This record gives sequence, structure tokens and C-alpha cells, in this order.
Amino acid sequence: MQLNSEQIAFLEDRAYQIRRLSLEMITCGEWGHPGGSLSMAEIMAVLYFHVLRVDPKRPDWPERDRFILSKAHSSPALYAALALRGFFPVDDLYCYCQLNGLEGHTDMRRTVGLESSGGSLGMGLSIAVGLAWGLRLREIPKVRVYCVIGDGESTAGNIWEAAMSAAHYHLDNLITIMDYNKVMAKGFVWEEMGIEPVRQKWEAFGWDVLEIDGHDIQEIAGSSYKARWVLPRGKPIIIIAHTVKGRGVEDTEFNYKWHTQHPTPQEADAMLRELSIRCGKPEEGYSRYHE
Amino acid sequence: MSDSNENGTPQMREIFGLTLAEMGEEHEDILVVDADLHTSTRIAHFKEKFPQRFIQVGIAEQNLFGIAAGLALAGFTPFPCTFASFVSRKAVDQFALSICFPALNVKVPGSYVGLPTSKAGASHNSFEDIAYMRTIPNLRVAAPGDPADMRAVMKTAYETEGPVYFRVVRYSLPDIFKSDHTFEWGKGELLKKGTDVTLFGTGMMTDRCIKAAKLLEAEGIDAEVVHLASIKPIDQDLIIDSVTRTGCAVTAENASIIAGFGAAVAEILVEHYPVPMKRIGVQDQWIDSGEIEELFAHYRMQPEDIAAAAKQAIAMKKGRK
Repeated sequence: MQLNSEQIAFLEDRAYQIRRLSLEMITCGEWGHPGGSLSMAEIMAVLYFHVLRVDPKRPDWPERDRFILSKAHSSPALYAALALRGFFPVDDLYCYCQLNGLEGHTDMRRTVGLESSGGSLGMGLSIAVGLAWGLRLREIPKVRVYCVIGDGESTAGNIWEAAMSAAHYHLDNLITIMDYNKVMAKGFVWEEMGIEPVRQKWEAFGWDVLEIDGHDIQEIAGSSYKARWVLPRGKPIIIIAHTVKGRGVEDTEFNYKWHTQHPTPQEADAMLRELSIRCGKPEEGYSRYHE
Repeated sequence: MSDSNENGTPQMREIFGLTLAEMGEEHEDILVVDADLHTSTRIAHFKEKFPQRFIQVGIAEQNLFGIAAGLALAGFTPFPCTFASFVSRKAVDQFALSICFPALNVKVPGSYVGLPTSKAGASHNSFEDIAYMRTIPNLRVAAPGDPADMRAVMKTAYETEGPVYFRVVRYSLPDIFKSDHTFEWGKGELLKKGTDVTLFGTGMMTDRCIKAAKLLEAEGIDAEVVHLASIKPIDQDLIIDSVTRTGCAVTAENASIIAGFGAAVAEILVEHYPVPMKRIGVQDQWIDSGEIEELFAHYRMQPEDIAAAAKQAIAMKKGRK
């Protein structure tokens, strides 16, 4: 299933907005993880604006697809996608990390559209496995459970407990996407704790594996279509999405120093101007620079 | 299965397993999740009746609680079952963050609590679970004291929306309550009125408090006995009301005295009505392998030890006057 150029342009714009809003909210909240939010902007854009069957007017719709963000420190990208999709006003993003505002990681009791709470890494895939098991028992075959995991958190044992069990239960209603951005909190993954060979590991655990460029809209949409409609054959499916940590701004790309760090308003202004020019948009800085 | 004591009373784990299987008939939303211990925890009874609603995760306790969270999100009421030491030592992050933080409807029996674990030793003897669990927001914590109390706690746990942790001991206990007994969160039970000292028991130790009261009675000491199955929330009014009359207290728990049940009672007394008190339980030690009754003697958790602590508390009270 090929997207036409109009669809691609639309989704690229959503990815741009997700990046932009992620940086805005991290700057405004003076806390956050820019690197992992920027690396998964296209993934979130394609999921929330092309793939997921969700309805912002009916967030509890029983037949909705479920999305679990295991790498919950990248919550800004998810919050931005939810706001742009209409789950809550975009203005609410500017309450990120403020008391009673949007929680630094994820709190499903506080934010409409979230399907789980998290932040401690390695835990989300197990939740997705339970959800997929439960939805299959409920005999809602159309529903899919999507889970985005990080490469860094794939050094956690809990991920592999979940991986083993998903295959054991034949959960082909579970689609995992790995945001393989190559960098964890304090350095390159291969330096900190090597996770390769990633593809072979997941295959050995009994999963069907797709491998894509995680910034290519066409590839994300194509693999998502395949994972949902073509592949299911009693095996869970993982899309290994190769991405660039901090994608969109030169200084943050593949730079572990921007894993957890918030830009000053001045830095954010420069970053957002660079991002807008790079994405072919009118030059636009930090919206709250002068506040 | 050697389930019963010399009087033929089934162990509390057996009462739990049978009750869960009964509840499964009435409530189709109950799912049971196992980490390779179903004959030990007695959820095998549920598995036999409802194999389609029984999920095996293998020896993977972190996954056990993550999966339980997901099942709750799908609208079910899961009971992930393993030994208490594994809940609090191997998977407390998953339990706390994935289940208790979003207040998901998951009921967690902590099995094999305290000393009676069939000679398993330090790895399997859970003494810290009360301390861990009662610090987790949104979580309710209970330790039933007899078979009727187990059934009542489980019924209430099911009817309560949100996460529950309850202790299941591998031990037989005599009946304290009648079969129509009910359990309410934050409500204790005054089992015997007294004037000299209050013995606060939870879980299996309430039976030992009753026995201690009899020993004290033989020495002319009139002990009040209070059972507090609901550890969180705890019955603050009953605790204060009782010590107002008796003036001193002893707590007894099949767990560490540090930050556990005795500490919960002490917190209330210190803030509202300070009186002399002593705590019976595991004293900052790892638990050894051994015959179960031998362990209770070794760790000074027998009725005689409770009675001795009661006399110390009374002496402290008199020394103050």
C-alpha cells in the first residue's frame, strides 16, 4: 500500500509539528528527553494520523486500537501526537512537568488518550502482551495493540520475558515498534551494552521481524500495513525502525547529551528555527521566547 | 498435598485456592496468572476448572505483573499469583508502577508469607512485604486471620475497585470467625475485651494473640485482643479506643517488625495516643530453614513470647505512673 504524495506531505507535516511541540514543551516545562522524542516523530505521526483506529471523541471506545509507550520518557512526542489528533487542546502541552499538568513520563489517570502509565524502562511490552492476550479472549479480532520500545531499554530483562511470552501465546494482534535510535542515556548503545544482533534475537524469540528506515513515512506506513494485514500468522510482529536520536536539529543528533536535557529558551529558539528551515517551513522560533 | 494440621483444618493457601476457584464460577472476568507455582499457591484448583482463563508466564515475575496490568486494561480482574518474597523483591517496580500507580483492578495474593515455607530459607521467606506494600499509594493491604476471614477478604477484594494485596500463609489456622463473617477495609475486630493490655494481631498471629491472652489470664492479667486484617487502611479509631482503655499494647505479625504492621500501629499511637508498646515479629534477621514450629520458637513469635511482651508493656506502663 503506497501513500500518495499528498498523504506523505500531510504526515511529514505532522511529524514536523510533533518535533516542534516536543521541543516547545520540554523548554517550557524545563525538563524532558528531547533525543528520544525527536527520533520517533515520524513513527508517532504515522501511527496517530494513519494507522491507529482511535477516536478522540470516544477515548474509551472498546474497539479502539491500543498504544503503549514503553519508552515513556519520550512522552512529549506522544503528548504532541495526542493533542494534534484532538484528544486535548494543544495549549495543554505547555503544562508539561508542571504540578497538575502533564506528567513527566506517563500517567493514564491524568491524561486522556494514554493507555498505560510508565517511566521505569523495560516494562511496557509486558503490559502490551497482557492487553493483547485479554483483547483476544474478548474476541475483538480487529483490534491491534501497538507498543513502542526503545533500543536502550532492550538491555532490560523484562523486555525479553515479554518477548518470549508473546510468541508463546501466539499474539499476532501485537505489533511492537523499536525506535532504534542507537543512543541511550549516557552513550551509544553499542558502547553501553551491545544489543546486536537485534533482528536475529527477535526472530529467535519467535517473532516476525520487519526492518525499516524509521524516518521514512512510506516505509513506516508500508510496514504497518504489512504487520496489520499481511503478516499475522500466529506470531507477534516487531518493526525495527532505524532512527537517529535527536533527529531534526544538528546538535541533538546522535548526541547522548540531549537524552535528558532541556534547552534554554534561547537555545530552543535557535533549534526550532533550524528545524523549520530544514523541513522547508517558514522560519519559526520558540513561541514563548519573549514571555 | 499435605494441607491440614492435626485437626484436619486445611491450610490457608488451600482455603485461598478453593475460594478463588469458587469465585471464578460466579465472576467470568477473573483471570488467574501463574509463575510456575500453581500447585504450591493452590491456584491449581482454578486452573482445573477454568483452563482458558489461566495464564502461565513461566518463572518471570516482572512479566507476571506487567501482563496482569494489561489484562486489567482489557477489562478483566486478574489475580497474578506467586510467593510474597517474589512480589516484593523481584517485581515490586512492575507491581507499583504498572498496576498501583494507575490504580488498576488487580488482586495480588502474596503466598508463602513469613516463616512457614517448608524449610525453604531466606530466599522464600517473605518478611518485608507488609513494609513494602503499605508504602504504595492506591494499594490496599490485608492479612486474613482464619478461613472465614480469607473468604471474606477475597470477596471484598474482588468487590473493591483497584489494586489489593493480601497475604496467604502456608499454615492451618483454627476458626476465629463464623462462616457468615464479613470483611470491611479499615475495620478491625475486637475479639476479646480486656483492661490491662491490648494485643493487636494481624494474619496468622491473631490466633497466637488469643492463645497469649489465655496464658496471661492464668496469671491474672486481663488482655484485650484486636484483629486487624485490614493493614491499609488500618482501623485507627479501634486502635486508639482500645489503648485508651488498656494503656499499653503489643503487636504481633508474621513479618519483619520494621516498617510493617507493628510500625503501622505505632505510627497511629505516636501521633494520637502514645502508650508503651512492644512488637512481636521478625527482628531484622533473615529467616533460616527449619521445622516451622521450631522457627516460631527461634524467632520468638510464640504465644509465650507475646505474653512476655505484654508483661513488659504493662511494666513500662506502671513504671510511668
